Amino acid sequence: MNLFFLSMLIIAAGGLLPLFSFRQFSLMKILGVLGISIGCGLGMLDALSKLSHDGPAIASFEYLNSFSLAFRIDGLSAFFLLAIFAVCLLAAIYSFHYMNHPEKALRTAASYFFFSLLAASMALVVVADNMITFLLSWEIMSLSSFFLVVYDYQTPENRKAGYLYFIFSHVGTMFIFAAFGVLYSHTGSFGFESAGLSDAAKMAAFILAFIGFGSKAGVFPFHIWLPHAHPAAPSHISAVMSGVMIKTGIYGILRMYSILNPHTPVLGTMVLVFGMVSGVLGVVYALGQHDLKRLLAYHSVENIGIILIGIGIGMIGVEANNPVMAVLGFSGALLHVLNHSLFKSLLFMGAGVVLKKTGTRSIDALGGLLKHMKVTGVTFLVGSLAIAGLPPFNGFVSEFFIYVGSFKGIPVDESPVFVVSLLAIISLAVIGGLALACFTKVVGVVFQGEPRSPAAQSVDEKGPTMLLPMIILAGACAVIGIYPTAFMFMVLKAVPALGLDYANIPMEPVARMSANITLGATLFLALLLVILAVRRILYQGKAIGRAGTWGCGFTQPTVRMQYTGSSYAASILEFFKPAAPLEEDHPPVSGLFPRATHYHSHIHDIIERHLNRMVVNPVLWLFDKLRWIQHGDIHLYIAYILLAIVVLLFFV
Amino acid sequence: MLESILLWSFALLTAPLFAGVIFKVKAFFGGRKGSPVLINYYTLVKLCKKGSVYSTSSTFIFRLGPMVSLGAAATSLLFLPIAGHAPVLSFDGDVIFILYLLGLARFFTIAAAMDTASPFEGMGAAREAYFPIICEASMFMILILFYRLTGDLSFAAFFSGGQPFGLWQTAGSPILFVVIAFFIILLTENARVPVDDPATHLELTMIHEVMVLDHSGPDFAFIEMGAFLKMFFYASIVARLVFPFELSNPALNLGLFSLGLLIVYGSVGVTESVMARYRMDRVPKFVLTSFALAFFATVITLEFLK
Repeated sequence: MNLFFLSMLIIAAGGLLPLFSFRQFSLMKILGVLGISIGCGLGMLDALSKLSHDGPAIASFEYLNSFSLAFRIDGLSAFFLLAIFAVCLLAAIYSFHYMNHPEKALRTAASYFFFSLLAASMALVVVADNMITFLLSWEIMSLSSFFLVVYDYQTPENRKAGYLYFIFSHVGTMFIFAAFGVLYSHTGSFGFESAGLSDAAKMAAFILAFIGFGSKAGVFPFHIWLPHAHPAAPSHISAVMSGVMIKTGIYGILRMYSILNPHTPVLGTMVLVFGMVSGVLGVVYALGQHDLKRLLAYHSVENIGIILIGIGIGMIGVEANNPVMAVLGFSGALLHVLNHSLFKSLLFMGAGVVLKKTGTRSIDALGGLLKHMKVTGVTFLVGSLAIAGLPPFNGFVSEFFIYVGSFKGIPVDESPVFVVSLLAIISLAVIGGLALACFTKVVGVVFQGEPRSPAAQSVDEKGPTMLLPMIILAGACAVIGIYPTAFMFMVLKAVPALGLDYANIPMEPVARMSANITLGATLFLALLLVILAVRRILYQGKAIGRAGTWGCGFTQPTVRMQYTGSSYAASILEFFKPAAPLEEDHPPVSGLFPRATHYHSHIHDIIERHLNRMVVNPVLWLFDKLRWIQHGDIHLYIAYILLAIVVLLFFV
Repeated sequence: MLESILLWSFALLTAPLFAGVIFKVKAFFGGRKGSPVLINYYTLVKLCKKGSVYSTSSTFIFRLGPMVSLGAAATSLLFLPIAGHAPVLSFDGDVIFILYLLGLARFFTIAAAMDTASPFEGMGAAREAYFPIICEASMFMILILFYRLTGDLSFAAFFSGGQPFGLWQTAGSPILFVVIAFFIILLTENARVPVDDPATHLELTMIHEVMVLDHSGPDFAFIEMGAFLKMFFYASIVARLVFPFELSNPALNLGLFSLGLLIVYGSVGVTESVMARYRMDRVPKFVLTSFALAFFATVITLEFLK
């Protein structure tokens, strides 16, 4: 445990030192980056060693003699710690060249301070062992990330995004408070235990916690803050927030599950259905986006959906007394947590480089970047293949395990199991297809073809500290994709912490499946090499010409004739029209001498629409009616407090 | 093992031949003599002799695309039982792996098309990204049915040994649905009429053909070969379902399998001769038919097994 606290201390130092040295811009950045990255590196080593040991590490401190701060690292915590530290480490390195505005020195220093707070608090969230510690860390995490979201506070859009995030994270926290309240009212202790809870109370606590944690994780329909907050934050922060911070919501759901150990079949189905809806709609909305970072944010909703499908399959497997299904579901979900944190932070970093060098996030204004940004382009391509779940990259591995887990539910005849397994498989297949469509759009429109605007024309990719983390992440995606065995073992160390009551989970079947994936992937790569060799031979001594693209007889093509992201996605979006209404603004071309026209499209998030109408407006109306309470007179407020205390005395 | 590898080589060598059958059938319906059955081999050799011209817009992805699609198609045949014989390789879950590997090939075909900056290729790419989504859903629906019947997740368990004869015996009528569903998937995935017309002359109405407009020389040969192999992959699944028996004499068995393949390729030719291509917005409905068939097959099976 000591090593863990040491790493927290170093991370904190990495946050504090920049505040005192902001006059020296480079020195400040070096101090911040070194502190955070060394701390995270140490934490990673610690988490790895914890994953190889059995038995949790425990520490607790008395605080103000009234309650204790308790910490505990078990397999599940260590697994999440690994992802958190890995991504924060790389994001810190990335930030060195990304934060290059000396005129904003103080603000940059503050951003390092909040970044270190965020990194440390995320780590504390996953090791907290009682409600007080957990909520304390949770609040620090929410607040520090809020300040990072409003880094560019001059833009009204970003302030709005920050505000939205603030509300969502706090309403979500209220639900977590409520869930913990249910626990406390039955157990009378702040510890994570559920002795003496009735099934109904467990169910209530789980659902409340699911809403609370779901709003942090970005589960549909609590995802609205995500596509606003992620684009607003600096890119390395988007990488951390999307890569690991939203996963603390997943951690919360899993932890609640292990504490409550609820035996209500309906909960597994609930988690799975939320996962399916998040997965499918997340990627549909992503497909309709024009803003690169917003698109990636919606993909987080999709991937959280895939993770929830895995967890749902796991929970259903437990209920159906099908240990294989349960273990495969949970382990697939956990591996996807790690995988998503890798490829999503990679993609956000890539988007960050694009944004930095071109100054625009608009997909349809870009194009042809691969020619000037070799490293960014190739690593982004790897990230895209991984997020689309294609072999031989890591996204495929975790989806594979979730698939196999779901198939284990197919022969079960108990009524919900077959149906939900079927739904899980079909939705995974649809998500896979849509994700492929979405990322061929991103890669095709942003990195390939010809530049669509001057902004994308003469770009470079200077800044080695931005490229290095992306290379490492892309490498990790490929390594997990081809050799998943070691990583599956780590996952299997985390699964017992869920309290599934399986004495010991055999490694052998999982190892065999991992070995099969390795076999398939290497075979494919070997064949690819053979084909490459054949191609070499066939092209030996041949004339290779270069010419313009064949325009099907048209001789004066311009770059504006290229297919855009909007047109690429149009026909698929048409299919999902009821769930994703597309608003188009396009005055028709008419007359002999038509005037200039324009085309503008916007895809509506139905939840955003309905939330405004059904929740925000009534709440505003209500508070408007209650305005008379707020008098501005301090005596009256003191009277309110007195009154409240007197009323409470009656109840307690 | 040796026999499996020989059969795999048989697949690689004869895939262009079977694809030539389609031309013959179409020529017959058109009242023409038609090109020789070996036309595809001549084309491949001709392409391999040529050099290439690359678009100035394109990058390395453009050159990677043909290789990946050929590699994926060749790998997928390694896992498929040919003529009912055990495949070269097989593991639990290889079906998912292969479907996703073909997805990888699709990703690179689309990416190679987007690499040229051509609006026509973009249009084809958008369609190529769209229709297979439904195909994939219906493939997985069929997998669910097969898993329910065999309890296994590998091509070897579905199409070799006593299968798919056993499948016909346990659930005959649902399998009939599956054959049709598979045939629709075959037409969609391989860009045949009524989804896509490989012989059309207008780039605006193409899907697959327009995506490979800019490829030339050996690269284009790779694409063609990949397409033949992919066609062979789907066709041999349908052929095995149509002729589910396995004869003890290997030569006769291979003959029977080839006959099945001829029937499948012939039907593709007949479909192409008697039908017109659907309007693009009708295609999703056509492909959804295959999903609906697979779905009903699964639902019916639920009762059969009780």
